Amino acid sequence: MPTTRRYPPWLLITAGSAIIITTYLFLVVWQPESLVGGAGVGPAALIALAGYLIGSGLIIAGAMARMPTSTVTLLPIAIAINIVAGQINNMVGLPLYLDSIGTVLVGLLAGPAAGAATGALSNVIWGISISPASLPYSTTQVVIGLLAGVFARWGWTRRVPTAVAAGVATGVVAAFVSGPISAFIFGGANASAGRSAIVAVFQTLGLDTLGASIAQGLTVDPLDKSIAFLVAVIILRALPSRFSQRFPFAREHSVFAPRSASVLARARDVDVLAGADRASVSASIAATAPAATSAAANGQDGDGSGAAPSASGTDTTQDEEGGRL
Amino acid sequence: MSQTLNFYQDGATWIHRLNPVTKLAFVAAVTIAAFGVENLWWPAVLFLLLEIPAAIAAGVTTRFIKLVLGFFAPFLVILFLLQGLTYPDPGTVLVELGPLAVKTEGLVFAGTTALRLLVMVSAFIVLLLTTHPGTLMSAMQQAGLPPKIAYVISATMQIIPAFQARAGAIMQAQQARGLDLGSGGALTRARRLVPLMGPLLLGALTDVENRSIAMESRAFGSPRRPTAFTIVPDSVGQRLARWAMILLAVLAIALHTLGVL
Repeated sequence: MPTTRRYPPWLLITAGSAIIITTYLFLVVWQPESLVGGAGVGPAALIALAGYLIGSGLIIAGAMARMPTSTVTLLPIAIAINIVAGQINNMVGLPLYLDSIGTVLVGLLAGPAAGAATGALSNVIWGISISPASLPYSTTQVVIGLLAGVFARWGWTRRVPTAVAAGVATGVVAAFVSGPISAFIFGGANASAGRSAIVAVFQTLGLDTLGASIAQGLTVDPLDKSIAFLVAVIILRALPSRFSQRFPFAREHSVFAPRSASVLARARDVDVLAGADRASVSASIAATAPAATSAAANGQDGDGSGAAPSASGTDTTQDEEGGRL
Repeated sequence: MSQTLNFYQDGATWIHRLNPVTKLAFVAAVTIAAFGVENLWWPAVLFLLLEIPAAIAAGVTTRFIKLVLGFFAPFLVILFLLQGLTYPDPGTVLVELGPLAVKTEGLVFAGTTALRLLVMVSAFIVLLLTTHPGTLMSAMQQAGLPPKIAYVISATMQIIPAFQARAGAIMQAQQARGLDLGSGGALTRARRLVPLMGPLLLGALTDVENRSIAMESRAFGSPRRPTAFTIVPDSVGQRLARWAMILLAVLAIALHTLGVL
């Protein structure tokens, strides 16, 4: 095989996303007539399987092509967290999934593309190892990882309430994405008896199988994903900040807010929340703590290893943070 | 949780010796064929004529049946209860039970879906029972899978058993410090997860840094394509067979659309 890449990675990611979106729209628009013929969901299931898997494959290939080694070594651990938690959940029989904590974790640390690749690979590996039924759901995980990265980019994961809100929003989207998979490939049934019972209730209330599957997702996914976001944020905050600072995405977009209440930290908060105030805040700090200004203006937290050495103000911050951790 | 993450059963039959990519093509072909043809009994025919003989030929019949039933039996019950009782579209009502109704169409729908899933899952189980995960990854890498993706897949398979071993060690260490695992209600049990899961996750995540340094010093992620230590045998015949299987599956759909099958 030649080592040269003919296509840039973003092209693969765009193509993969386009295939997934086309598949989804096609399925949702076409669905009403396909169920009329009794058991006529075969083609729809085939299209769902093929389109979603090809799309996920392209996204994995595109996202992994330029991934730094530190992120690549994070993926197996994140995926193991997904699989172990998901498997425990299925064994206990909770009507949740709990299989996207690792996906959210990588999305927060390394950005949307890495999150999407983690999610897709997670369900592929789960599928080819212990639970073949989770393979078709890899697209849902792609969307979860992607959204986790996007919400982290927007700063929603700095505070717990907004992180939970991001989880709820992700869950709503995930429900709509996974609806066609549940309905067409699995006939609305589920590995978990609890979740299947919810589908049964919605079908009795008069929804068709696709509608009932989406409705079931809407009852479960927002809760499940907000738990995932919450757990991921708690895990990452418990780690030494050195860990998250090693990931350029988390560092540049300051995904995790500093937790101190010092003058410096407040200045950094303002800096982080409203870019327009940046100049005035920096100017006001400049009088008291000249060395810290550069760190604040760079948008860095200043409490990690990435902070500039030699600056006395930054060193003080490190000590404060260290004491609190 | 299963002890290890693999189903592989050692053997020396011709199915074991096939290139894993060929077996993967078989999985894809039967899945396409099962979902592409609108006929209640067609997937059952595929299962009986292709997959059961494959399992018998590979000498893994007992475990094959056990695994297929283990996955399939609960699913079958749930599917028939769900679609048998609450099928949403209008249809011939057989029995009426208040808000629930058993409809012929619902049973047919449940049956078709169940049989299709049976074909897909059993094909996978044949692949997993007869293929060592390491061989599968080597073969996929030879077929053009990027090394980074192959690393993530095989590392995950190894990390999960390591996770279990580490969880055991952490549990013993916490018990030695006086953590009581035996008593308490659901809430106490849930709270007890923190001293167990905390060190496990934090330890695993802090390992990431060391591992990535070790891997980069061994030229992981260099654009040059690495050579393989184990070469998985492949042949022209198998290469042709892969295309033939996929073409046959597509042909089955084409014939069905034309009304022959």
